[in-house]
Amino acid sequence: MKSMYKNAVMALVLFAGLTLVSCNQGGSNNGGALKSSAAEKVFVAPGEYDSHYAFISGGFSGQLSVYGLPSGRLFKVIPVFSVDAEKAYGFNEETRDMLKTSHGYIPWGDSHHPDISQTNGVVDGRWVFINENNTPRIARVSLETYETAEIIEIPNSAGNHSSSFVTENTEYVVAGTRFSVPIPQRDISIKDYKGNFKAALSFIKVDPESGNMDLDFQVLMPGFDYDLSHPGRGKSHGWFFFSTYNTEEAHTLLEVNASQNDKDFIAAVNWKKAQEYIKQGKFKTMPAKYVHNVYSDETHSTISTTKKSVRVLDASKLPGLVYLMPTPKSPHGCDVDPSGEYIVGSGKLSASMTVHSFSKMLKAIENKEFDGEAYGIPILKFESTLAGTVEQPGLGPLHTEFDGKGNAYTTFFISSEVVKWKLGTWEVVDRKPTYYSVGHLMIPGGNSRKPFGKYLVAMNKITKDRYLPTGPEVTQSAQLYDISGEKMELLLDFPTVGEPHYAAGAPAEVVKGFSKKFFKLEENKHPYATKSEDDVRVVRDGKNVHVYMTAIRSHFAPDNIEGIKVGDRVYFHVTNLEQDYDVPHGISMIGANTSELLIMPGQTETFVWEPKQVGVWPFYCTDFCSALHQEMQGYVRVSPRNSNVKLSWSLDDE
Amino acid sequence: MKGLIIALLSLSVLFVSCQRTGNQQSSTEDLTKNTPKGQASVVDEESSPNILQLAIQTKDLSTLVAAVQAAEIEHVLVNAGPLTVFAPVNSAFDALPPGTVDELLKPENKKKLAYILTNHAAPGTYKGRLLKDGRKIYMATGEYIEVTRKGDDVYFGGAKILATVDASNGVVHLIDKVLVPEEK
Amino acid sequence: MKKSKILMITGSLLLLTLFALPLWNITLEAPQYPDPLGLDIHIDKLADGNNPNDVRNIDLLNHYIGMDRLPEDMLEFKIFPIVVLVMAILGVLAGLSGKPRLYLTWVIIMAILGVAGIYDFYSWLYHYGHNLNPHAILKFVDKNGNPMAYDPPVFGTKQLLNFTVHSYPASGAYTMMVGIVMAIWAFVTGKKEG
Repeated sequence: MKSMYKNAVMALVLFAGLTLVSCNQGGSNNGGALKSSAAEKVFVAPGEYDSHYAFISGGFSGQLSVYGLPSGRLFKVIPVFSVDAEKAYGFNEETRDMLKTSHGYIPWGDSHHPDISQTNGVVDGRWVFINENNTPRIARVSLETYETAEIIEIPNSAGNHSSSFVTENTEYVVAGTRFSVPIPQRDISIKDYKGNFKAALSFIKVDPESGNMDLDFQVLMPGFDYDLSHPGRGKSHGWFFFSTYNTEEAHTLLEVNASQNDKDFIAAVNWKKAQEYIKQGKFKTMPAKYVHNVYSDETHSTISTTKKSVRVLDASKLPGLVYLMPTPKSPHGCDVDPSGEYIVGSGKLSASMTVHSFSKMLKAIENKEFDGEAYGIPILKFESTLAGTVEQPGLGPLHTEFDGKGNAYTTFFISSEVVKWKLGTWEVVDRKPTYYSVGHLMIPGGNSRKPFGKYLVAMNKITKDRYLPTGPEVTQSAQLYDISGEKMELLLDFPTVGEPHYAAGAPAEVVKGFSKKFFKLEENKHPYATKSEDDVRVVRDGKNVHVYMTAIRSHFAPDNIEGIKVGDRVYFHVTNLEQDYDVPHGISMIGANTSELLIMPGQTETFVWEPKQVGVWPFYCTDFCSALHQEMQGYVRVSPRNSNVKLSWSLDDE
Repeated sequence: MKGLIIALLSLSVLFVSCQRTGNQQSSTEDLTKNTPKGQASVVDEESSPNILQLAIQTKDLSTLVAAVQAAEIEHVLVNAGPLTVFAPVNSAFDALPPGTVDELLKPENKKKLAYILTNHAAPGTYKGRLLKDGRKIYMATGEYIEVTRKGDDVYFGGAKILATVDASNGVVHLIDKVLVPEEK
Repeated sequence: MKKSKILMITGSLLLLTLFALPLWNITLEAPQYPDPLGLDIHIDKLADGNNPNDVRNIDLLNHYIGMDRLPEDMLEFKIFPIVVLVMAILGVLAGLSGKPRLYLTWVIIMAILGVAGIYDFYSWLYHYGHNLNPHAILKFVDKNGNPMAYDPPVFGTKQLLNFTVHSYPASGAYTMMVGIVMAIWAFVTGKKEG
């Protein structure tokens, strides 16, 4: 027995010696080059996971990209408002209707502000909401499938910019209009803007289980431009804050004419009060045409419905619904700190930043400290709500996020930097340059009660000489800073897809557990699903031909089809029979005027082919699925219109 | 048994000390130092010149350029803008009380100098018809400065506009006086 | 009741857990399967070992090298449940009789059946690994130029192409062992009590 212990001790001593040696080796490597410290902080070894997800908007690409932090590696580009031929989004029969609007099918959109759903004021990693600016829409992206699950159009809105931010239990996702328009739309002179153009702030209810969105009501506001917004949280839960500009109500050369007023407003909307007014029936039901598209993971198809009316609350007529807080010089960002007490207005043309206090606002409302009104909406006295001013922090303040440790971080477009300052004392603590002209910034959970204040991502509009040149259009970029210390530290530049307009982030543990591996074949309710090779068939219905096809490693069934005629409209309904992680199959047909399909395991997708020439035409698997991917192919025989070739199909001549 | 415990203890001590060294090594290294002047460091000889490049090329603005460099605000003049810069010519600086310029160029007055220079820049592109008589223009410092017209001449805060040059990121008006902000 | 009787009866009743628990598990590991594929062998069926669809996915891979689909019914699946049930009843009866000699007999029969079962298992694996479709997509040969065989090990770990295959007893086998040990223990204590 004794000798056994001896051996054990010897082994441990040896082991300890080994650790010591390996530790020393690591030390000398690190010490050798000082530069490696930033590199080490962003290095994620092959096979290791990043610690955070970042969902970065593609801006004018209309998409949402998924990155890992701190490595800056790109994992996926999720098409939301723009078609994506790679994933057949907007091309196949199943997702085409996702891009349907009251203006018809629109293949492109301008995605702006992603925001992750929240529970009790903390990001819960279930869905990402994102707004489309040009043709006002809000989308919900599922973090089970990393696909767009739903898109709702917003009526009475134009330039859907102060969107799509969620309240602290995802009761609402909120969308505000940047451009005011005649409501309802009508044929009037543009010069009659003042007083005739109105704005709508939309409150979209989110089902807590399914996430399904429904436009609950709109608040009708004066014809200003509503730039950005954020929810109240904690003590200010129940309120929503919108920054405004063009309170001049100019309709031309806004560059000059909307910069005349010394102060614009931050509008504080009491949405709990709005709910009461709705209950009391004090809304007006206005005719409005908007389209709502929902994608189902069971039918793998979209159901698109057109809505005909919307409930509207008039802010000018309903007391206590909205208050206006004067804020200097066209405030852009409108950011609420994690406690819900401070509302930061970044006057983009102002040299200083204004911070309002929520509790002072409530007191000012109670004491009726008003400084007139705008279209019946009370304007609170500037001094009454003012918590403090950050003096001369930089030029062109845009957006602010928080680290949850009492610090705020603001981006400055003109002076191209991120400035760290302290809430309460309003003193500037640190500043770091960005390369170049930063727009938004993102701290994971930065728009919630609980920010995860380790990293900060600055999203730049211009890169000039930062990367190898790629012609006149160069990449836009994001920059990663470590904000865990007193001073910020630049760690990494990484290029982005499209314009990195804004982003939302969360620790990987919050998000990754929801991710789905494949769709269960037995739950597939697609009307044209084929769940077994015994059921494959080809059915003619006049000029329409439906091919019920399956794909599995490494063949299609059927892979020989005859009896198709010139002028037919052939629907390939292809079901991927695989039930294994990461085994998609693709399919494309020579001469098909559409994209490929990229079918996930257990899924059914459809593309249409209209053969125009007689002959025998091949199709094949477009996703390198297996060792015999190159063998995964088939033929369709196309005969003249008047031919008598019988419709037939086979696999292995059976 | 005792030996075992000691071995375990020493092992854990080694492990801890190893961790500590790891932390010490993450000393900060400032990657922003590679590009000290931000966007002003970008070398581009082909694009039409931005406001800073234009000022550097204009002999009559050499004092202004020296002042901008002393105040280290070059990056303000190269960003996407658009910006309108009212650029005092050398003789405007010469007209200031003797010693003023030398005083401002001293490092300890960097902040004050930056403020005075920022007071010559306005966000937006103001030129031609947009310089309406009586229009107040909002400067990057937060001050307002008024445009006045006398016949064909345009004055800005009392300074006469001598010439106007378009830049890639805005416009430069050469003026004959320095716009000294009121003392606060 | 005597301790030996309780031990013998409990031990033989433990056999019944085989109707729920797998007897054996074969796990296939490969770099592209971070979640290894698993096959659970029960007395009456083959089942997904580690994740849903494992059997389906093993079949999918096997078709490339010409192996048969994993069987849904075999003669064994009909015989094994009867044998297990009969042995459990016989064990209980032996226990009720209270005769240690019968306990030992039961243990010996179990041992013989066990060896027979493992031989049957081996021959099935051998057949499965050698009886390949001549039209297989991928045909490999061993060093001597003979067609490669893919029979997994009966017990232990073996490299088959890009897969590391582990074959070990599963929970059902362990409860059965405990049952047999209890029967032996019953025999020993029964002798002393006697």
